Amino acid sequence: MGAVLVHIDLDGERPHPSSLSALAAGRAIASSWGATLYAALVVHDAAADRAAPDSTAQVMSTQQVPGLDKIQNVLARAGADKVIVAVTDAPIAPLWAAVGVPWQGVLDHLRPRLVLFGADAPSATELGPRTGARIGARLLQRARATGGDQVELRDRDGGYVRASDGGAAVALIGSGRAELVGDEDIDLVVLVYPGGADNRIEIAGSSPSELAHTLAPIVALGDDAANDAETVSAAKRLAKQLGAHVVGGPSAVRAGAVVPAAVVDRHTPLAPELCIAVGSIALDLAGTTNLVRIGPSSGKGVEGALAGSPSANLTELSRGLEGDSR
Amino acid sequence: MSLDDLAPTSPLRVVADDPRPRDGGVALWLGSSGPLRSIRWLDGACATAAKFGSAIAIAAGDAPWLDLAADRAARAQIACVGVPTDLKLDYLGWAQVVAAVARQLGSRTILVDEASRPERFPEVAAIAELLDAAQLTHVVALAPDGPIIHASRIAGADLQTCRIRGSAVVGLRIAGPPIDEYPTPTPSASMKRLDLPSLGLDPVVLGHRALPPRTSQPARKTVEKVVDYLAAHVRPLSKEG
Repeated sequence: MGAVLVHIDLDGERPHPSSLSALAAGRAIASSWGATLYAALVVHDAAADRAAPDSTAQVMSTQQVPGLDKIQNVLARAGADKVIVAVTDAPIAPLWAAVGVPWQGVLDHLRPRLVLFGADAPSATELGPRTGARIGARLLQRARATGGDQVELRDRDGGYVRASDGGAAVALIGSGRAELVGDEDIDLVVLVYPGGADNRIEIAGSSPSELAHTLAPIVALGDDAANDAETVSAAKRLAKQLGAHVVGGPSAVRAGAVVPAAVVDRHTPLAPELCIAVGSIALDLAGTTNLVRIGPSSGKGVEGALAGSPSANLTELSRGLEGDSR
Repeated sequence: MSLDDLAPTSPLRVVADDPRPRDGGVALWLGSSGPLRSIRWLDGACATAAKFGSAIAIAAGDAPWLDLAADRAARAQIACVGVPTDLKLDYLGWAQVVAAVARQLGSRTILVDEASRPERFPEVAAIAELLDAAQLTHVVALAPDGPIIHASRIAGADLQTCRIRGSAVVGLRIAGPPIDEYPTPTPSASMKRLDLPSLGLDPVVLGHRALPPRTSQPARKTVEKVVDYLAAHVRPLSKEG
């Protein structure tokens, strides 16, 4: 049985929660399939080129990369069998151009059968598909681990990965809760990949993005919904669960339902990954990847549509999601 | 019906009077089927490609979609090549088609309309892998500047400004102007058609990357089904924080 590899993004000096969710899914799969579960992360060390000037990969001791002990402990307790740390002399950024070289090194080192990313981890959208292309793998987006004795991965489009499948697969794991199941005594291997970043892409600067450009989920309030206090309260609760922005038109600000910075003009093209449209919406949501309508008009071309009282439906959704995540 | 029947015109050839440069040209991959909800993003991608002056749009799939792609490209004053096929491929399969066309066109910069359909997003990486190119996804603004391309992309809550040099595949999320209705396109006479064998691709081999047939999901109309659908989007929280 081939290795199951989980990419770990860091959130400061800790593993990103979405990566830990992927690790939890990886633990369930590896235990079911009899595979070894590797957690791998890429870290920056400006001295990496001096540590291994003549090789493409060289094992180092953990003492040479400070701060790894805590990360190793967290990953071990989250279920990893082994931890791989790829050290690069290039600054870390959630771009293939920045971390592609060391990540390819990890892939070549392990030749995994299944690679998991946290769907909401910063690097997932840049590294996941490229990883799939590199190893010729099927790609599942927003997948979840399901099943009892025979755990499998399933996405919402009917894609699945099972132990009996041939070929490699890459999955972006959506949601799930990280469980602390492992011990703290696991192997850690540090590999050095000098060579820097792909200089065809240069990051020149960064600034906060406008809400209109967000890819994060949004909960969009129609004017009718924005004027109903119960609906607004329930919408904000759901938005918190989804990590979503609450947006609306100018009247939603006047009603106190959204902050002024969250006002969206009706012609502004929104393209979030997920939109919960509540009430009668006068926004351009055509770029939305996944659209769920809650309110009087269900419409066509939507993934979900709940008619009836918006506040009651939103409340039920929140309750259901709370139960689902336990 | 054979693939040759679907591709009645001759493959695109480099001819002496072709004003388009063979090296360094820009190709725009519009995808293998029409936009999911609006052609606004397709128009935005075409308008962005037109900034480069010598861009060529690429589309693959059935005839109605190729006609629409050619029509919208023509309105943005860029040429269009079509790859007629009834194959339904995964991201790696379509990437092989795009890479083959890009090689034939001599394009080193490939723009991809990643917003019109969600399944197109992973094709950015797959095309880049096949062409050994750099990749940049989630780009919301793009400006050519000689040998450099300035790009702004979304990275979480940030807007990153990047400079692109050399061969690259760029995923675009740039909308055109609002549009409610548009005229039904007529079959395009100007669109160049390339069949798969002329691209060096064997349809039978390529068929191994075909997606299994799936019925389209009706909208979920109960709380339980919507909860199940949204569960994959819940913000993950670890017990450690």
